[in-house]
Amino acid sequence: MQTGARPEGTTRSLLRRCGIASLFVVAAFVPTLLLQHLFPYPFLFLFFGAVMASAWFGGTAAGLLAVLLSTILVDYFFVPPFYSFSVSTTAEAYFAAFVACALVASWVSSAKKKSEEALKGTLDQLEVRVSERTAELMKTQTELAHLSQVLSMGELTASIAHEINQPLTAVVTHGHACIEWLSASPPNLEKAQQTVQRIIQDGTRAGAVLSRIRALFKKEAPAKDWLDINEVIHELTTFLRDEAVRRHIAIRTDLVPGLPKVKADRVQLQQVVLNLMMNGMDAMIETTDRVKELLIGTRGDESEIVVRVEDSGIGLDTEAVDKIFNPFFTTKPHGIGMGLSISRSIIESHEGRLWASPRPSGGAIFQFTLPVRSRDSDG
Amino acid sequence: MADAPTIFVVDDDASVRDAISNLLESVGLRAVALASTEQFWRAPRPNVPSCLVLDVRIPGVNGLEFQEQLARAKVSIPIIFITAHGDVPMTSRAMKAGAIEFLMKPFQKEDLLAAIRHGLERDRTRRQDEAEVSILRSRAEQLTLREREVMDLVVTGLINKQIGAQLGLSEVTVKAHRSHAMQKMEATSLADLIRMSDKLKPRDSR
Repeated sequence: MQTGARPEGTTRSLLRRCGIASLFVVAAFVPTLLLQHLFPYPFLFLFFGAVMASAWFGGTAAGLLAVLLSTILVDYFFVPPFYSFSVSTTAEAYFAAFVACALVASWVSSAKKKSEEALKGTLDQLEVRVSERTAELMKTQTELAHLSQVLSMGELTASIAHEINQPLTAVVTHGHACIEWLSASPPNLEKAQQTVQRIIQDGTRAGAVLSRIRALFKKEAPAKDWLDINEVIHELTTFLRDEAVRRHIAIRTDLVPGLPKVKADRVQLQQVVLNLMMNGMDAMIETTDRVKELLIGTRGDESEIVVRVEDSGIGLDTEAVDKIFNPFFTTKPHGIGMGLSISRSIIESHEGRLWASPRPSGGAIFQFTLPVRSRDSDG
Repeated sequence: MADAPTIFVVDDDASVRDAISNLLESVGLRAVALASTEQFWRAPRPNVPSCLVLDVRIPGVNGLEFQEQLARAKVSIPIIFITAHGDVPMTSRAMKAGAIEFLMKPFQKEDLLAAIRHGLERDRTRRQDEAEVSILRSRAEQLTLREREVMDLVVTGLINKQIGAQLGLSEVTVKAHRSHAMQKMEATSLADLIRMSDKLKPRDSR
């Protein structure tokens, strides 16, 4: 089929080219015929136009055909003796110059056309290649995004496993101890009771870990409420007081009253503040040369509120400041390095900023902002 | 209670170290719960058989590094590692460095208690050994130079005649030095003396 179609196509295109050449030459011929009496010399310039146009649109063959047709017409109509194919000796040079010019015009035009087409072809190729590359890149990016998701899922799973394993270990160990207290003679009921109490505490703790994780993985859009940030902080400081006492850390608050309420997801915001407070407390484990103090402060104006968490712990070196928000960066032996990275994305999803800086008197300061919006502009 | 064996429990997780202390207490063992290695260095370490239950991942140094620090500080306390994520290289490194056991959380009571018993036994033996060596050393200090020379040759298996030839002494003199040395070292037989002399050699070359 293909071998049969090709010559047919070539014939058709040849006919088309002849047609183009004839058309342009006729288009040049008619006005030349009409205008010839206005000029003392034969006015032949329009034929150059026809030759160039034919060569441009029909290629070299059409250009040459146009030259041939023009030469015949010019010879017959416009070169003395008129209405004859012979050429007078006086007009020979003139006629030869016309033919030469026509040939050159045809050649220049078709060459120009060819180079232009070559350029266009290259451009097209380039465009195709660019779009191919772009598609490849996008595919790679999708794969990478998936990979990092899988990776961070793995890391999260490890962290979840660890967080559950700790209270679980305590439960199992207390369980063994409880049996011992009960099987002593006489049974030590007081100790057994205390032990069961701790089992309940640790079991509850494991449950709390799970519900925290469940909240983290909730796919639904965060439920944003109008929150009093001081109230959120107050709840958390109450919650962490025992832990702080155990670690010999003083929790201080510096909350400016009457701050505008912010629209935010309560659970997510709690996670961020809790994470920053726990980080601060962890940073003070090794602190011995100064008072272990965790300060949570708020301030704000009509455009944003700022929450800061200061600790007097090991502090941040410049290298760490750059990295602490990267996923998987951690300085803690049990850490997986997701806390700050998740916190930052939570704050950013609230259109705020979260950053860290060293505290001049030793320790670190973590701060985040939340935009204040009027209730009218954001229902 | 003052002479009771002491088990140090170092874990930064309060609930885990409380649970371990509670379990040890329930079987009549004395436990000292500590949150960090720092606290271990500061804690008083009574001169009684002891061992250390150590979480591998603790803030500051990790458990394996702490094991090396203890070794460098010549604190020879048997270590039982506990971990939530025990991997094989970590385990083998800890065991090579002389750990008693490497337990995965949550562990069974029997495993922990067996490891602790083993650890205490090892520490008790070491302490007895050290006590004996220090007694032997003080006895050896009472030997005269000659007596010491004679003893050192006797334990290599030489007979009095050969010793006399080596030291340029008569056989009778050697015999006298030898019996003095035996008396001062409180050795009941030649075999006893050989064992004592062996213990007196510097630890590293043993």
